[in-house]
Amino acid sequence: MKKGKKIKIGIPTRFLLAPTLVIFKAAGYNLEADAADEKAFQARIDDPEIEGFLGRAAEIVRRVGNGTLDAGISSEDRVLENREKVIEICDLDYTRAGIWGKGKIALVVPKTSGIKTLKDLNGKTIITRFPRITKEFLKKYKVSANIEISDVPNESQIGKLVDAGAEFTLTGSALVAYNLKPLAVIMETSAILIANEKSLKDKWKREKIENLAILFKGARLAQEYSGLMLHASDEMMEEVLKVLPALKKPTVTQLRGENWFDVLTVANKKEIRNIIPKLKKIGCTDIVEFPLNKVVI
Amino acid sequence: MAENKLKLGIPKGSLQENTLKIFKSAGFDIDVPERGYFLKIDDPEIECFLLRPQEIPRYIEKGKLDLGISGDDWILESKAEIIEVCDLKYAKQEIKKVKWVLAVPENSKIKSVKDLEGKTISTEAVNLVKNYLKKSKVKARVEFSWGTTEVKPPRFADAICDITETGVSLRAHNLKVIDTILVSSTKLITNKQAWQDKWKKEKIKDLALLLQGAVGGEEMVNIMMHIPGTKLNRILKFLPKSPTIKKLIGENWYDIEISCKERETRELIPKLKRIGAQGIVEWPVMKIVP
Repeated sequence: MKKGKKIKIGIPTRFLLAPTLVIFKAAGYNLEADAADEKAFQARIDDPEIEGFLGRAAEIVRRVGNGTLDAGISSEDRVLENREKVIEICDLDYTRAGIWGKGKIALVVPKTSGIKTLKDLNGKTIITRFPRITKEFLKKYKVSANIEISDVPNESQIGKLVDAGAEFTLTGSALVAYNLKPLAVIMETSAILIANEKSLKDKWKREKIENLAILFKGARLAQEYSGLMLHASDEMMEEVLKVLPALKKPTVTQLRGENWFDVLTVANKKEIRNIIPKLKKIGCTDIVEFPLNKVVI
Repeated sequence: MAENKLKLGIPKGSLQENTLKIFKSAGFDIDVPERGYFLKIDDPEIECFLLRPQEIPRYIEKGKLDLGISGDDWILESKAEIIEVCDLKYAKQEIKKVKWVLAVPENSKIKSVKDLEGKTISTEAVNLVKNYLKKSKVKARVEFSWGTTEVKPPRFADAICDITETGVSLRAHNLKVIDTILVSSTKLITNKQAWQDKWKKEKIKDLALLLQGAVGGEEMVNIMMHIPGTKLNRILKFLPKSPTIKKLIGENWYDIEISCKERETRELIPKLKRIGAQGIVEWPVMKIVP
């Protein structure tokens, strides 16, 4: 490593911050960023080669685009909205704390609305935080509507002040709460790691950013996986191997001087719910499930 | 043996969360009742109290407690005669060191400790500051502060000595640091009487072993991976020492398991992936007892 070399990366505030902190921690980094203190701006990371800056997802896209940041975590929708030239390094597949996976941006209307199809949106008013994405989507379907730009969620206004909205939805609970229903999904979105084109031409920076991507993806996958350890006898082995998932070949070790084996593997937590009772029925003993930090396939 | 009990002081405040976490990894569950000072610990041989870290060294010196956790700062400040059993420095705290710093208003003429001659310094750690001034051969007035020390200059004091972790609060009050007088770390401490009691000494040593194991485990992880036989030698060259190697049945692949510092995984895992390791899985360690 060359002394003093650094990459500047953007850490998103607001909803993306909490899951980003989880991923950094599992990736092996101690990231300190006070969510309540957006003014603090600088995020502290225990790696002298990384300088972290807090910012809104949209700001991060702009700063990575113009090169003031080398890389950053932002969201797919902000990248499309901002039209800056950034390179997507990897999909981190989260949008909010507590639920891993992608969210959606959907056109929504009141449940009782007369708007039943996209065509019915002609001449109507749509409020949204995603004006570009919405306009392009409507253009594809040859619908022309008035787009009203906002920078906050607008569920409460739809059906009252405006005819429809293009809103972010993850669980759909806000839609239910405001008596709205989705008319069409515009896109799926999630957090992504992006980088500046020029920064990627610097060999040292490129490797640093790619290493981060490997660690982040490993950390992200580990949120959904657990380790599983068990003992099985020779006769059970064939059946056990059929039950275990194929993500990673299980490691099988013979127990000293016995006809029993120690089996070690990793599996999706949701699969493990079904696997453990099955293993028990086969006759396996000493079944242990343990948490993981990273899974790099 | 039911008679034998160890009286343990757990620090209330900023050290509390980490202390409870270390005890949990060491295998002890401590329940903190709301507004309660008698903690429940799942070991009948330990009686547990929640106390300010400022007071723990004094109570240990007097024999009211046999064992406790406090910081270097309060041990020095209280001038208590205690025995240090071990350091419980939290590796992950690295970027959040507890520092006692001397700070003055941004526009103050005071540039170094020498300029403090004849001035007033407000602090919660009077003895710490007095010792420091003595060493620097500076005479100044040190006033005890009951808290919110950072708001005192310039009206109520010329300078302050206070704890800072990130410096945010100092900046918010337009203060700048002119010197660091102590970087404090967490210690497990006992007294002479307890250390001379055979049963207590043994119990304390066992506890210290588990707590240090938990602190060490905090920074360690296990990694397991599959490696093709053709790359085995190349990979073994840069792995930490003594990996566990097993050959996969009927294939030219190996399963390798290692323990290493979590920090090292940042470099190691991308390297392993590039060379061709597959199914790399990392999981946390609870205790490491060397």
